[in-house]
Amino acid sequence: MKSRVLRALLISALLSGVTAGAQTIGHAAPTVAAPGSGTTVASGRTAAASDSSHGYDAQALRFETHWGSADIIRGANGPVIGTVGWFRDFDMEKLVASSPQAVIEARAFKTNNFRGSLVGGLGALTLAVGTVVTANSSNNAASPILIIAGAGAMVWGAQHLNAGYSRLSRAFWWYNRDLTR
Amino acid sequence: MSRLLLALCTGACILTTRPTLMTAQERSYDENALRVDEQHGTIRIVRGVSETVVAKIGVFRAVDVAALVKPSPNAVAEATIFERNYRPGTWMASLGIATLGAAIGASRISGLNQAVPTSLTIVSVSLITWGGFKLETAHRALSKAIWWYNRDLK
Repeated sequence: MKSRVLRALLISALLSGVTAGAQTIGHAAPTVAAPGSGTTVASGRTAAASDSSHGYDAQALRFETHWGSADIIRGANGPVIGTVGWFRDFDMEKLVASSPQAVIEARAFKTNNFRGSLVGGLGALTLAVGTVVTANSSNNAASPILIIAGAGAMVWGAQHLNAGYSRLSRAFWWYNRDLTR
Repeated sequence: MSRLLLALCTGACILTTRPTLMTAQERSYDENALRVDEQHGTIRIVRGVSETVVAKIGVFRAVDVAALVKPSPNAVAEATIFERNYRPGTWMASLGIATLGAAIGASRISGLNQAVPTSLTIVSVSLITWGGFKLETAHRALSKAIWWYNRDLK
């Protein structure tokens, strides 16, 4: 009788081990709705989990904005691995390549950052020209147009730069999510 | 036979308990991890994949970020630095901008001692710079606070 009980326990334990293992894999790559896209994406956790060097402490990214640019930092006090911002580019897609959803967001960041930098830069130039024309007291009808157009372009550019940072924040959120903890 | 059933039941219990725990662990980051989102001068802190806005930090409106990241001691320490620097930073920068406006205005008043607009300009630049550094420290601390909070999620 005892041997039967033992055998039953052994079978149950074996079954639990097999099922738990299968469910670990199943939950390691859950499908979740991607924010803003309305689509579902598979996590890259399974792949990341197999590599111990991909730990959160060692690899997790964050950024610190200052004076119009952002430093990309690994860890809480880790090294600055790149700087992005006004006319400053960094290969974000390569950096977050291990997470497919992060790559999409990094691409969107790049587009927004380029547009924001270009239009914002042109706006600043137009505003400066308008200011110089006004300061020279020349009765040029174009000066108010230049100032308004320049300021408008700067605002539009700033909004795109902000939208870019929002996408960058999402990219890091996804990248860090797919790291082992 | 009853013992056999009991043993099978015990095995079934083990079988159902472990995966349930793992599901909870896997969901934790997706549902709770925070990130910062800036829109029109307002800092929004959003939670999880659903991006629920859990806090809005305006130019003069601070929120209790420390309470938001409470489960993580390191995050709380950084959040305290953020709170200590953010409001003074915004007030000083704003005061600096206002003083700069006053300096420009004073420079246009004819007959006024030139020392007035000059000193106003110096004060305004100092205030803007000091406020800017305070705000930078605050933003750096917020970034770290969220990093630590997310790190300590399961």
